[in-house]
Amino acid sequence: MAMLIFMETLFFSGFIVTYLYYIGKSPFGPQPMDVLELGPVIVNSVCLISSSFTVIFAVRALRRGSVGAFRVWLLVTILLGIEFIVGTALEWRGLIYEDGLTIRTNIFGTNFYSLVGFHAFHVCVGLIILIGIFILSLFGHIKPARDHGRVDVATWYWHFVDVVWIFVFTLVYIIGRVPQEAVS
Amino acid sequence: MTTVPSHPPALAGRRDGAGFWERVMAWTCSVDHKKLGLMYIGCGLVFFLVGGLEASVMRLQLARANSDLISPETYNQLFTMHGTTMVFLVGMPVLLGFGNYLVPLMIGARDMAFPRLNAFGFWLFIFGGLLLYFSYLGADGLYGAGVAPDVGWFAYAPLTSRTFSRGNPTDYWILGIMVSGFGSMTTAINFMATIICMRCPGMKLMRMPLLVWMMLVVAFLVLVAIPILTAAQAMLLFDRQLGAHFFNPEVMGSALLWQHLFWFFGHPEVYILILPAFGFVSEIMPVFSRKVIFGYPLMIAATVGIGIISLGVWAHHMFAVGLGPVLDSFFTASTFLISVPTGIKIFNWLGTMWGGKLEFTTPMLFVTGFVAMFLIGGLTGIMLATVPFDWQLSDSYFVVGHFHYVLFGGTIFGIFGAIFYWFPKATGRMLSDRMGKITFWLMFIGFTLTFMPMHISGVLGMPRRIYTYELDRGLEIWNFISSIGVPVQAAGILLLIWNIFRSLRKGRIAGPDPWNAWTLEWATSSPPPEWNFDRIPTVTSARPLWDAKNPENPDAHYV
Amino acid sequence: MSKHESHSGGEGLEEMPYLQRIPRSTPWPLVTAFGVTFIFAGIVTNPAVSAVGAIAGLVGLVGWFREVFPEEVTEAIPLEKAAEPLPAPELGPPPEKPLRRVVPEEIHPYRSGLFGGLAGGVAMAVVAVGWGLTTGQGFWLPINLLAGILVPSVGDADAAALGAFHASWFIAAICLHIALSVLVGTIFVVALPMMPRRPLLAGGIIAPIIWTGVAWASLRVVDPTLEQYISWPWFLGSQLAFGLVCAAVISRFNLVRLQVGRSLEDRLELEQGPGGKS
Repeated sequence: MAMLIFMETLFFSGFIVTYLYYIGKSPFGPQPMDVLELGPVIVNSVCLISSSFTVIFAVRALRRGSVGAFRVWLLVTILLGIEFIVGTALEWRGLIYEDGLTIRTNIFGTNFYSLVGFHAFHVCVGLIILIGIFILSLFGHIKPARDHGRVDVATWYWHFVDVVWIFVFTLVYIIGRVPQEAVS
Repeated sequence: MTTVPSHPPALAGRRDGAGFWERVMAWTCSVDHKKLGLMYIGCGLVFFLVGGLEASVMRLQLARANSDLISPETYNQLFTMHGTTMVFLVGMPVLLGFGNYLVPLMIGARDMAFPRLNAFGFWLFIFGGLLLYFSYLGADGLYGAGVAPDVGWFAYAPLTSRTFSRGNPTDYWILGIMVSGFGSMTTAINFMATIICMRCPGMKLMRMPLLVWMMLVVAFLVLVAIPILTAAQAMLLFDRQLGAHFFNPEVMGSALLWQHLFWFFGHPEVYILILPAFGFVSEIMPVFSRKVIFGYPLMIAATVGIGIISLGVWAHHMFAVGLGPVLDSFFTASTFLISVPTGIKIFNWLGTMWGGKLEFTTPMLFVTGFVAMFLIGGLTGIMLATVPFDWQLSDSYFVVGHFHYVLFGGTIFGIFGAIFYWFPKATGRMLSDRMGKITFWLMFIGFTLTFMPMHISGVLGMPRRIYTYELDRGLEIWNFISSIGVPVQAAGILLLIWNIFRSLRKGRIAGPDPWNAWTLEWATSSPPPEWNFDRIPTVTSARPLWDAKNPENPDAHYV
Repeated sequence: MSKHESHSGGEGLEEMPYLQRIPRSTPWPLVTAFGVTFIFAGIVTNPAVSAVGAIAGLVGLVGWFREVFPEEVTEAIPLEKAAEPLPAPELGPPPEKPLRRVVPEEIHPYRSGLFGGLAGGVAMAVVAVGWGLTTGQGFWLPINLLAGILVPSVGDADAAALGAFHASWFIAAICLHIALSVLVGTIFVVALPMMPRRPLLAGGIIAPIIWTGVAWASLRVVDPTLEQYISWPWFLGSQLAFGLVCAAVISRFNLVRLQVGRSLEDRLELEQGPGGKS
């Protein structure tokens, strides 16, 4: 009980940080948005969001007591998360080398890189947590009866990262793009 | 109430600390909320002395017109460090420290919900503070090495941009505050979890001591406000280190954004600093009035109301920016509104004293002084919330006088009262009441001498943050009186330090309940054992010890 | 942020963590905090500092994790009964008559404020309209003037327009009048027990006089139109009508004993039944 509340509060605080970024950034992001391509980002988003489901499957498997299924689902989650990071990295590479957009270029670059970058950083943290759990389970340190509660709470962090991404995605790639096209 | 039976040698040995090194280890590795709380308070008081020293040098410089005791650059660093230190390294840690020490005791718990996290938060605060002060040695500024930050405690953009703030002192400011901010956040999370989940049997929410309620609201405010500051500082760091443009007006960045972000943190911060002091008053005042607190549920409602409204008043720090009439009137209205629950509290404290059997011990003196001084600060606050008035006096010494009445006459008086009140609990020995009373009067007189004239010099047109002023503007006498007050206060504080050190060795033995008080922390021995209570108590009302002492007429019948 | 704080209480404990055992001292939080600080300090000094910080932080985190996994490291409290909560003190039975004076002992039921407010509102309206009629300024003038608090356009109207009927102004005035009447009635019912001796004097006369004074001072801001036309004796008269009727209605209700020492649930149940049962 204490644990749950605590983690929730932690998310809450993290959430506010992120929320702040929206408030801080959206009012003045009026710089060319046509460099962003939706295609690869949608693939990334699908990966990240589906990973939220796979991690639920993993926790359910653990609750049932089948460590094998737990490992598999966890591994799938981790791979999906890695895909997201790699996808973001590729997107950034394209932006930097082809479109010449860096954090210094303009206010949009500033906002884009810090917001998406902070999110990517959180994804990395979440990945490290998941990988840590995975390694522990490989060595047989995860006992379903004892630990499923803890693992469940740890995966909340992953869900949180996911939800944040939904907001970031909406903000950067949907709201951020539309007015730009309307203007130009 | 209960005496602790003899402990097994292993535990007793570690608690008393055989050798010096073992004692150091026992403190640094401790996850005990009481040790951490005491360390918070101790370190906060050390920083208090440092910040007070900085203030004294400033007052010395301002004692006469056209003084050239220190250079303008030094002066800028001094007021920046003074403000930053007092807010982040004194106010927050001392109050969080008291919360740390008292909350588990007051709700009948053995420790905080996350003891290790608690230690983590404390050490982050310490290292953050040290990082900030390391700038005096390591930072590399415009005038060479060893330069402290000099951008003011609210660090307005674009003064903080690379163009205007060369070198890295400002980065030290960002990082030091950021790190200690992480510490505050973890501690706030811990408070929330503790208060919600660790209460002893019978300790319903509406039976919690008011200090615990205040700490709950404070934890909420910390969780809302500090992340915003951290985010703003991260943006500033990007600006300075990576060349981003958040606050750079040349490329459509907004210097105003920093003000919004900072004050969205900054105003809840004011309430973070004052609410625990409200809690001290609400604990101390009933005990020395020998009456139950007046309007307990209303106090809680007012606290929660303050917590919520305080999130919507930040722009009253920014009237001079020119926000436009709509925003100006909104924030004026919300600021007036927040004075209502604060006024309710003042009346409730007066109602508590009314008809009580008052005992003016030192803690009671301090909290009575608190009510009076805070009232003055609150009233000048309402004056400043009026836009035309604020336009005239914003950034003058009137403002300096105002917030020192709130934070010094309010928070610091509350803290001093709390030190005198809970010192016996933490150490087992009483502080000398005679010296305490002298301390109070020295502090009170020195405080009034220093800060009352600031209102006048502000109205006469003296801006804040100037290193000197010219002759024949009518400012000399008021500044001189302000400076006279400093040694008086310093004498009071030195006397307190002497009192603490002397009483630690020679003070009267306190016993578990020296004040005949009613909250749970007095139900265990002084100092409490590492596990706080030999057996967790069961609570029947908001004054559990009253019920235990007066079973024929308990509070439980009158809830 | 680290997530290793999420140590659970473990299954051995009942509801409350640390009932029988308390956490053992550990240096790892210190090491972790040290590492975090150095990571940040490296930004302004030297990347090597960050590297040291990262290593220290990692070591600290691992050490911390081993502290809480697989089982939290704790030490026992060396007392036999530490896990059993102390029973609550035995309290005497609640006395027939409370030992403490409860002020006020009895109050009017809150719904009496509702009725009192409405009745007072009617009385007030009668007097106000009477003023409009007797001075020959028209039936609608007081109503329109009241609407001026809500509707800014009233301020631009001339005397003729103010004497005529306007549907929207009428609705605004009615709504405002009912809302204010009920509000004031409720305040009355809360405040009257504090002046228990002569409800008609306090509520019916003193309160309206005070209120008229407040209105006299503030009306300029709240409703400038009303201020131009207002007749203060009649204003006071209508306030007195409200106060007297409202206080009279409220005091006709039976007093209810204030429920001291009962839980909120108890009290809510009692208020459902006919008032006056103690």
